[in-house]
Amino acid sequence: MMNTRAVSGLSLGPRVGRLLSLATFGAAENMAIDQAILDSVSRTGVPVLRFYQWAEPTLSLGYFQGLTERAAHGQSDSICCVRRTTGGGAIVHDRELTYSVSIPLPAGSAGPRSVLYQQMHAAIAKTLADFGVQAVPFRRTGVGPRSDSRNAQFLCFQRRTAEDLVVSGYKVLGSAQRKSRTAVLQHGSLLLCTSLYSPQLPGINELLSLQLTADQLVPQIAKILSESLGVDWRVDTLSSQEESNAEKICCERFASSLWTSRR
Amino acid sequence: MSRDESKLLYAESHEWVDLAQEDGKAVGTIGLSGFALEQLNDLVYMELPELGRELSVGEEFGEVESVKAVSPLYSPVSGKVIAVHEDLPERLEELNDDPYDFGWIVKVEVSEANSVESLLDHAAYQKQCAEAG
Repeated sequence: MMNTRAVSGLSLGPRVGRLLSLATFGAAENMAIDQAILDSVSRTGVPVLRFYQWAEPTLSLGYFQGLTERAAHGQSDSICCVRRTTGGGAIVHDRELTYSVSIPLPAGSAGPRSVLYQQMHAAIAKTLADFGVQAVPFRRTGVGPRSDSRNAQFLCFQRRTAEDLVVSGYKVLGSAQRKSRTAVLQHGSLLLCTSLYSPQLPGINELLSLQLTADQLVPQIAKILSESLGVDWRVDTLSSQEESNAEKICCERFASSLWTSRR
Repeated sequence: MSRDESKLLYAESHEWVDLAQEDGKAVGTIGLSGFALEQLNDLVYMELPELGRELSVGEEFGEVESVKAVSPLYSPVSGKVIAVHEDLPERLEELNDDPYDFGWIVKVEVSEANSVESLLDHAAYQKQCAEAG
């Protein structure tokens, strides 16, 4: 079953949130920073929106994927690999814009926050529309849910779930979540251009003969998300506590071969 | 015999626990509530703890994935894991139909009787679900 429940809009506001500007880090650092942010949002309740890119082409595995499943995708077998804490399939992070948004959760919430998928993806779809790109959620394409075998594809971008954004039949945006007791982290990838390491996945620029860049998109995504979530994003940097926590998490988890090969 | 959900205790994080005496020991059988399973919608993975692991109240003892979201499972009681429902991760599609019998996840030998004092009875849990839903 696909998740087709109707969900009403999510508003956190009015409140102030923190915006971490577009920056580039290594694979383990990127995942550790997202985890450190989730930890701090769990403590403080202050939402955080972050945009980032990757220092080198990276394959990220979904939390429950087995490392040996990499054999299913030979084109990416030479690039570095990191295991996410979020669900879904593997992603080749290369010529893309990656975001993360972390928000507090009400006590006793259960399951995925589908409304957060919807609202973040709507902000990105509206931004893309400003640049002439018509991106729609998969649930509105009229295409039926994929069979289990199709949704077990190794690569996230070869799977389809309800809120994935699709352009000309190709998935260009997918997101995943990790919950703590009091907060949720959602991060996602917007494919701008085809990667040499996943040539079967066209980016928006190839699909529509455009030359969109991450820098062009980020301010508008933040603005639209500010309006829909009721959060006034203020540009900020990682706190010293977040930086030291991220360093620790990076060493102990994401840069560790034990973590990457745990399944 | 079917478990009566109205007789169970519940954590705010939606795990249920059935407390009983087995061979002179206090044993808590733990699962996920029907409400939580409905919210989770489409479970695809579940990770279970190892036998013998010592758990404290509120400690993560497993994880589930649904709609690309990974959520921890929290222990409603303190104690040692003495049984694990090993078949469950391969049969998650059956969980929604029978969350209180087939859907047990682990059994814990409860080490602190007072660790259940903060749990909700069925009426209080129903109220929480109504407010969340």
